[in-house]
Amino acid sequence: MTEMKNTLNAAKTGEGIEFERIRRITGYLVGTMDKWNNAKKAEERDRVKHGLSR
Amino acid sequence: MIQSIIKRDGRVVLYDEKKIASAILKALEAVGCGNAQDAAAVANGVQKRLESLYGTNPPQIEAIQDAVESELMKHGFDEAAKAYILYRSNRTRIREANTTLMKTIDEITTVDARESDMKRDNANIDGNTAMGSMLQIGTAGAKSYNEAYLLTPEQAKAYREGDIHIHDFDFYSLTTTCTQIDIIRLFKGGFSTGHGYLREPKSIQSYAALAAIAIQSNQNDQHGGQSIPNFDYGMALGVACTFERIYREKLKESLEDLTGSEVADESMDELMANVEATCGAGPKLDRDMAGNKPITPGGNATREAVEAAKKFDSEVVSQLMGFYGFSAQTAGKMVETVRRRATSRTARDTYQAMEGFVHNLNTMHSRAGAQTPFSSINYGTDTTPEGRMVIRNILLATDAGLGHGETCIFPIHIFKVKEGVNYNPEDPNYDLFRLSCKVSAKRLFPNYTFLDSPFNLQYYKPGVPESEVATMGCRTRVMGNTYDPDREISFSRGNLSFTSINLPRLAIESKGDEAVFYQKLDEMLELVAGQLLDRFEIQAKRHVYNYPFLMGQGVWLDSDKLSPYDEVREVLKHGTLSIGFIGLAETLTSLYGQHHGESEAMQQKGLEIIGHMREYCDKKSQELKMNFSLLATPAEGLSGRFIRMDKKRYGIIPGVTDKEYYTNSFHVPVWYPISAYDKIWKEAPYHALTNAGHISYVELDGDTAKNVEAFESVVRCMHDAGIGYGSINHPVDRDPVCGYVGVIGDVCPRCGRRAGEAVSEERLQQLIKMYPEVATFCGCR
Repeated sequence: MTEMKNTLNAAKTGEGIEFERIRRITGYLVGTMDKWNNAKKAEERDRVKHGLSR
Repeated sequence: MIQSIIKRDGRVVLYDEKKIASAILKALEAVGCGNAQDAAAVANGVQKRLESLYGTNPPQIEAIQDAVESELMKHGFDEAAKAYILYRSNRTRIREANTTLMKTIDEITTVDARESDMKRDNANIDGNTAMGSMLQIGTAGAKSYNEAYLLTPEQAKAYREGDIHIHDFDFYSLTTTCTQIDIIRLFKGGFSTGHGYLREPKSIQSYAALAAIAIQSNQNDQHGGQSIPNFDYGMALGVACTFERIYREKLKESLEDLTGSEVADESMDELMANVEATCGAGPKLDRDMAGNKPITPGGNATREAVEAAKKFDSEVVSQLMGFYGFSAQTAGKMVETVRRRATSRTARDTYQAMEGFVHNLNTMHSRAGAQTPFSSINYGTDTTPEGRMVIRNILLATDAGLGHGETCIFPIHIFKVKEGVNYNPEDPNYDLFRLSCKVSAKRLFPNYTFLDSPFNLQYYKPGVPESEVATMGCRTRVMGNTYDPDREISFSRGNLSFTSINLPRLAIESKGDEAVFYQKLDEMLELVAGQLLDRFEIQAKRHVYNYPFLMGQGVWLDSDKLSPYDEVREVLKHGTLSIGFIGLAETLTSLYGQHHGESEAMQQKGLEIIGHMREYCDKKSQELKMNFSLLATPAEGLSGRFIRMDKKRYGIIPGVTDKEYYTNSFHVPVWYPISAYDKIWKEAPYHALTNAGHISYVELDGDTAKNVEAFESVVRCMHDAGIGYGSINHPVDRDPVCGYVGVIGDVCPRCGRRAGEAVSEERLQQLIKMYPEVATFCGCR
């Protein structure tokens, strides 16, 4: 979330800029996943998608 | 002869028998037997014992304490010996806590948050900043103090060893968790933030700005999140103010255009006063969007609005004919234009106000700059044109995102779903429900709360917004009220504190024996209830002046009847004491070999366990006339804490301790393949039992989520299954370089770069031409 102006200036065309990935942590969201604790990161990695068939 | 001793830090000091005698006397007095003479006799014995053991060598402090214990027992003071041992172990614990505290502070000060899991315990605090670190140091200090001085030895042990988790333990002695802020009541007559007085707002812009300030101010009085239960009803009043002012302005402008001369304020005042005298009110909206048809279907509120508007306008027409001698046709045309323009301007102002509100909540700071306020807003059921205008525009502002198109993290949006209001195609707010699905499919919010689920419907009274269940942030729900059964409302109340039980551990310790498990569970429930009551005692002894906004401004129910030096004890009883749990899936697997996602038999077993816990809470509530409730704990920090300890204790148990996290509350495990519908139907019955709050999620892939029909069908399934609160997860990625928002695998579908890669200057220029709506390309230009 915090895009630092100086790093952006340094990376003229996106070099070193990661994609932001926003996920629901419990009921709420967190700006990018690098702030998540290790257990929640592991939980997010393990989440499987749920299909819509009955 | 003992002449000196060695202290813990290695210093050698003179031996002083008086000091020993005085410590012994304290132990004797603590158990109410023996006197100074006895103490002297024991101390003398200690010296003799030490001499026989050490001769003239200085003994260590621990050796002296051992000697005191032995001599106390030798002299027949067994109880005093026990008290002395307990005192000693307590001192040891405090001493060790001090050492641990210094180590923790060292980690907070020197280690990068990316390397320190402890510093990422709460993802919304930036542990790398000065204020974030200061907050974490305060937290560490308070936890250490609270454990040493405020918990009983049993509670401290259970907490330390991971039988239970006391949430927000750093604030244990200071405050309570959260509140549903009734902004209508708060704004009436204005309010004070403690740093200045704010008058009652008069436009949608100031309503929205003050709503953000109210959240910020209350967040500084409590440790949990802040929520507005009536965002649509509250902001609607601001929309009405704005429309009234703009209608008058537009009328004045039109008059000046037509007459070619300035219209004095006095004559406008007179004209409007005449109309208002006849109609009993000022001009009101009859639709929520310019160009939209007046809203005809649905509630009385809407029909009344349309009729009132018609009457008002025709009264203005006859006044214009009387005052200025316009023909009926000219006056009629003018008023029509005035209404159209006023509606369109009000809608634009409302959008800007909502946009400002969202931007504010994502950028404003609370708690000394360490955090953005943890905010939630509930809406969806106000069917008036003003309320609808608010709902539409808060959704549109969220859809648009922040300055670079980023997804807004705050506020948490909660859309209240209700049959007859917004659930069915013939309902007045169905269009807004559809819009909410579209926005949530892109931005993850709103979440949905279902007022038709029986445990919510039982409180619902049409036209009484405080009877609608509202949700706080991650899941907290406060509705029933054993303390005051006439006030079973969602407004102006909240949770006081909550503590969660490590259910899987109870199961592991029971070694498959169901009876043993329930016995252990009962003991643990009793321990937690006792701890919550002990904490309540601390909270209750505080005064109105300790909560200058929450209590001082009358935000909390009945606090407006107290004066600054009153204790808050009685009014706090409107709040809830909640017992939470984690890892039902692992618990069932440990006890019976399978979890509830795998079989119907296990589902029954799961419901029995959670039902048992709910019964306990109800019984305790009745017994004490307080609100004990059962919480499906939102496990963020907790998801890893218990299992780390249990792995150490019991090793890796397949299906139980073999992951890095315990499964959230009653959820079917995240890794278990199951259809969305089955998951919803499995989890719904637990919502009925967990009256302190709950949430279920469904994970959709990006493409399914983009399909609004499919998205809506999942929300409808939640409604029909009797879910209380739910949301749909799907990946939301963003490339800061080209501004693309959606699912990004390894390669960005818009600009074609991989994470960390540069795009060429040429390509960037092309992208800028192709997507001019993207504000900046990551500031690369």
